[in-house]
Formats: sequence, C-alpha cells, structure tokens
Amino acid sequence: MKFSESMQKLDRRYIYIVLAIAVILPLVFPIGFKTYSTTPVEDLYRHIDAIAGRDDMAIIMDFTHDPGVMPELYPMDLAILRHCFERNIKVFTISFLPQGAAIIQLALSEVKEDYPDIEANIDYCNFGFKPWGLKLPIMLGMGDDIAKAVETNSEGLKLENLPIMQDIKNYDNIQVVVEISGSSMGQFWVTYARAKFGVDVAVGLTAVMAADVYPLLQTGQFIGSLGGLKGAAEYEQLVDIFAMNGQEFSKKKARNMKWVEQAYKNIPEKARLYKYNKARIGMDAQAIVHVLIILFIILGNIGYFLEQREQKKKYMK
Amino acid sequence: MTETIGIWIAAFLTLCMFSFLYKDNPFYKFAEHLFVGVSMGYYIPYTFYNAFLPYAYEPLFLRKDYILIIPFIIGILYWFRFSSKFSWISRYPIAFSMGMVGMGVPMSMHATVLVQMRTMMLPLNNINIILIFIGTISILLYFFFSKAHEGVYGKFTSIGIWFMMVGFGASFGYTVMARISLLIGRIQFLLGDWLGFIK
Repeated sequence: MKFSESMQKLDRRYIYIVLAIAVILPLVFPIGFKTYSTTPVEDLYRHIDAIAGRDDMAIIMDFTHDPGVMPELYPMDLAILRHCFERNIKVFTISFLPQGAAIIQLALSEVKEDYPDIEANIDYCNFGFKPWGLKLPIMLGMGDDIAKAVETNSEGLKLENLPIMQDIKNYDNIQVVVEISGSSMGQFWVTYARAKFGVDVAVGLTAVMAADVYPLLQTGQFIGSLGGLKGAAEYEQLVDIFAMNGQEFSKKKARNMKWVEQAYKNIPEKARLYKYNKARIGMDAQAIVHVLIILFIILGNIGYFLEQREQKKKYMK
Repeated sequence: MTETIGIWIAAFLTLCMFSFLYKDNPFYKFAEHLFVGVSMGYYIPYTFYNAFLPYAYEPLFLRKDYILIIPFIIGILYWFRFSSKFSWISRYPIAFSMGMVGMGVPMSMHATVLVQMRTMMLPLNNINIILIFIGTISILLYFFFSKAHEGVYGKFTSIGIWFMMVGFGASFGYTVMARISLLIGRIQFLLGDWLGFIK
C-alpha cells in the first residue's frame, strides 16, 4: 500500500492511542509551558479586583453549568472564588440548574479549606439553585432589590436578615455578573440585566462557545471573557502572580514574562496546590495535542492530494 | 471509604465510556443507559424539593398566598399533553409562555441588533474597525440573493466568504480545544483521583 493510500485508510484507533499518550505524558510529567494572558481575561480580573475590600460592592457568579463541562469550567470557578476570598471581595453564587447547585457547594468547600476565616453569609452568600422558570423574574427583580427577588439563600435563610446584605441593595452594588456556563446563558444577562439596569456582565465559557462572544466583547456588552481551559489557565496565573502576592493588577507586569516568573517564586505554598493549577497543567497536554492535530491535518491533506494526483495519472493513461 | 467507592465507580464508568473508541459494546451501552437514568433520577426529586415545594406548594397551601392559584392552574394545564382527547388545553400555557418570550423582544432587539449596529457606525480610524466594517458589509451582501453575485459585486461578496471561513476556522480550533479539554479532565481524574499518579 502506498503512503498516500495508507494515510487515507489509517485506522482511527491508532490516532486515539497517539492522542491518549500525548495527553497522559504531559499530565504525569508536566512541561510547564508559559501562560500568556489575553485582554478579555485581564479585563475581567481587573474589574473584579477593583472592588477589593469594599463592603458595599459584590460580584454575582452564576454557575449554570453541569458536571459534563467541569474540566473546562471548574478551574474557572475555583480561580474566581480564590481571587475573591484572597482579596476580600464579596461573592454571591447562584445556579439555574439543579446540577449547578452541587457544583457551587463543591467549589466553595474546596476553596474554603484554604481560607478558614471566610464566613458564609458575611463574606459570601450562596443563593443556591433557583428554578429555570424564575430566571427572568430574578434577573429583573435584582435590579430593584436583590433580597426580595432571590428571597432565601441555599440554607433557606431570608436574605434581608443576612449581614452580607447590609450595604447591598441592587445592581448598583454589583460590580459584575460572571456567567460560567456551556451555553448562551450570558446572553440572557446582557439582554435583561444589562440592557435594563446597565450592570456589567462577563462570561466564562466552554471553548466551543468562546468564538461566539467576540461580537459582544467588541461592543462592550461583555466586559471580559474566559474561553475554555486556556481562559481558566490565564485567570489562575493572574490570581497567583497578583492576588496571592498581594499586588495590584498591572497589564504591563502581567505581560512581562520575566516579572511573571519572578512573581511565581514568591507565591505562598497554598497557591501551589494541584487543584489551583489544574488548568495550567492541562494546557501542557492541550498544547502537545494541538501540535499533533495540526500534524494529522497536514499529513491527511498530503495523503489526499497525493491520491488525487495518482488517480489523475491513471485517468490520463 | 464512601469517597473511595465513588471514585472506583466513576473510574469504571469512565472506562466503559472510553471503550466505545474501540467499538460499540455492552459496557458502553450499560454506562450510557445508567447515565440517562441517574440524570433523570437526580433531576426529578431535586426539582420537586427545590422548585415545586418552595415556590408552589408552600406559598399556596401553607402561607395561603392565593394569588398563586392562577399560575398554579396555568402550570397544571400542561399535564393535558398526556390526554389525546384534551391535549388542546395544554396549548394555553404554551401560549402564555410565548407571550413571555414577546416581552424579551424589545430588549433582545436592543442587545443583539441596535448595539451591534452602533459599533458599525464608529469612525474608521483603526485597522480592527476597518476589518470589522468590511467583514460585516461583505457578509451581509453575500446573503442578499436578490442580485446575482457577478462582476465587482460578486468579487466583493466573495470577500465575505473569506471572512466566514476565518470565523469557521476559529470556531473549529476552539471546538478541538473544548473536546481535548474534556479528555484531559477525565485523564486527570483517572491518573490523579483514581490511580494517584498526579498529586
């Protein structure tokens, strides 16, 4: 069998084996490829960081995603929560999917392990699961009064009685709504909450959806976005080099790789935990697999064109 | 102990799913059906306890908030879908839901059309805005089929195809990244949580 023919008839299971090896090796022996941050991620980080230490401002994290997309989105959940807990930023968490409520619990408990001083209903408040059908009344109602629109937290406590709500009334006290999902849920926040009340919205999305948000980023309807595992890896890095070092965000520093490497040396031990580096370690495997896929595409195309030429020659004869 | 059992079950089911890469087999079928059943089994009681009880039953029957009878009855009408004779009644709550969709039309128009158009009307003073302007106009004209795509007009609309191809390429690249990320997530679970090779 000729090379061109073998390229076209290669059993796909060989490709799966090569891909599996390309994923497994970098995960067991991390390469440590550098992570370069991009503007949409930096914008979100800076926007959230701007309310560090303020009692009258908070962010809302909407976890409307299920476990199926956790490999991409869960590192984002952890990175944003860690940023907020480290920099004393108030967080509200909510999900319009039942499965999302369990993910909120998991993420909060994982990050809280390393922040024993952070207290529920004082530093953060979990609104828990709210039915999908109540999405619009809640989104619109929060523009007037968050406590009235959401009513209770995940433990069934009335929001109006909670200490975290003392200085927080409505979207005027919300710095940004971060929608983390594998769907176009972020669009709902733009359509209802942003269009009517002007609240800033950002998204953390699966990579499949990431290309669709660029028109909304360009218009400023999304103030930032985290696209797939790469976006999560970038946010993890920004939290490590700035928040964990007690530094203010600086775009110039974030893009100076020498400064970044130096900043990594000073981060506390808890930032080196595997759970806070999952996206960056995953990006090693991602990079290797991308190179492999590019090679496969090139080889496949070479095989295709060679076969076309052979057939043309046969036809001419 | 319970966590360890959970990890072993998750690892077994992951391997069952991966076995499909070799070929379709009973292990894959078992895991697939189990997934559908468990998802529904989780969803139904969770929704009952976290949606029906706190938002319908408790306010209506315990707190006597009788105004909720109206949405309650509208919701109940959906159940007529199961009757071939009275299924027409279920169209009423559907009609009501469609009315709710109508509420979003003006806001959607603003968010997805007007704001996007406004950014097309900025001064063409940098290369990005010029590219976006040319891309938008050429793609819009490409989908205008009342004039034959010939001559200069045809050449201009073919620029639209190039812009779309770049867009499709970006989407494909992101899709590859998404699928590989899911694989990475599962391998991280197998090597880390299950086998303990990654700490």
